[in-house]
Amino acid sequence: MNRIVIAGIGAGALVALGAVAPANASEGTATLSVLHGVPDLTVDVYVNGELTLDDFAPGELAGPLELPAGTHSVAITAADAADASSPAIGPVDLPLDAGANYTAVAHLDAAGDPTATLFTNDVSEIPAGQGRLTVRHVAAAPAVDVLAGGQPVITDLANPAEQTLDLPAGTVSATVAATGTTEPVLGPADVTVSEGTLTIAYAWGSLEDDNLALAVQTVTGMHSSPNGVPAGSAGLAATNAPEQQAPVWAAIGLGSLAALALVGATARRTITLRSER
Amino acid sequence: MGRTAVAAGVFGSLVAASAVLGLMVACTAAPERIDGARITAGPTDAPRPGDVAPAASPVAVPHIPRRSAALDEQPASPAPPARLEVAALGIDVVVRPAGLDAQGRMALFDDPAVAAWYRWGPAPGSAAGSTVIAAHVDSLTYDLLPFARLRDAAPGTEVVVTDAAGARRAYAVQSLEVIEKAEVDWNVAFDRAGPPRLTLVTCGGEFDTENRRYLSNLVVTATPID
Repeated sequence: MNRIVIAGIGAGALVALGAVAPANASEGTATLSVLHGVPDLTVDVYVNGELTLDDFAPGELAGPLELPAGTHSVAITAADAADASSPAIGPVDLPLDAGANYTAVAHLDAAGDPTATLFTNDVSEIPAGQGRLTVRHVAAAPAVDVLAGGQPVITDLANPAEQTLDLPAGTVSATVAATGTTEPVLGPADVTVSEGTLTIAYAWGSLEDDNLALAVQTVTGMHSSPNGVPAGSAGLAATNAPEQQAPVWAAIGLGSLAALALVGATARRTITLRSER
Repeated sequence: MGRTAVAAGVFGSLVAASAVLGLMVACTAAPERIDGARITAGPTDAPRPGDVAPAASPVAVPHIPRRSAALDEQPASPAPPARLEVAALGIDVVVRPAGLDAQGRMALFDDPAVAAWYRWGPAPGSAAGSTVIAAHVDSLTYDLLPFARLRDAAPGTEVVVTDAAGARRAYAVQSLEVIEKAEVDWNVAFDRAGPPRLTLVTCGGEFDTENRRYLSNLVVTATPID
């Protein structure tokens, strides 16, 4: 708290010193996104019997939603259904843990039948300078390899599995090929993997119907901050350099006076509050 | 709870500050290594579409943000800042991207005419968060450097950042603080959320001649001028 406030900042900063950290928004809630990966089928999505996503189109990503932790029932119907009584997919139970981050994906299984899968997104901290890439196979297609710059980085990924890797932040030129081959069934495509961010790439659609596509979801907030800024080495701008002494002490004096006044105000408020109890 | 303690703590801290405590903190004389100042170009096409408008429905449906997940409709990365000007203080420096040094601190450039932008954080064109631009206050080779003049930044002083795409954005100085290094909350300075803002960082305060480091950071916060 050893702050010397010089200019343009007063009560706000000092009040902030006493501020309590805001309550964690994820306490008791889970975060859910929904991806629609069934080609040619506009749907309605019901959560716990309530219409939640109306006319949800293929390739769309909805959310994130904050939901109370616990098990939620999701049913996916044709877009013109009156209610959730005759779903096209589900109803499926989604057990959601507090603080966790999920994506529910409506997609085709390997044989081409509609299904739904709940994925848990890895939102653990990511080392500085790196990004996290998760690849999910949710397409009606055999197992695949993912190649980056021509080299396989993910191998034998089958519907509905996923693989995750942390890699230096940047742009990855990704190609999806049948396992053991290098002939692209998807790509090459440039996927941006941002620092401190989870980038999830979904291979969806159907190989047989020639509508394989890549969908991308990002989840931010797993970054860290630098732990310092070492920005001087000569001492020439130092407040304890001989020619700097006078203005420094003036600044400290003024800052202290202003701060003392605020401390006084805070103390008075404390006393007032206590006397009201 | 704790209010009196907080007040006492603040008081104690100010006494300590006035007495000028010599804390052991990092502002070394060692030249900083830049870990690869490569600019990452994002997808250049397809501006991000807005949310899909909810379709008319007889049932009340909650508004949940939706977007296309298509790869080629992802938002482009904002252009990195390329130039920083504070006309009132005679500061006009080139800005280049920088990451971390080997000790996990923000890497800076030894070139006195170049300031560093923390490349993993927000850029001036980002929708949210603090764009951090930092530079040395001085050097044994080059004497006092442009960022030394930041200590004269008065509230309202205009700061202009030009990005690599040529867009100019003006900011007004809101605050200037000299904070002992151990006390700086770097998660605030490098915040990636909250309103867009500009944070300029250099060294300041007392100098520890024995260890050749400043004991404080000077942190200037500026907000966009519409």
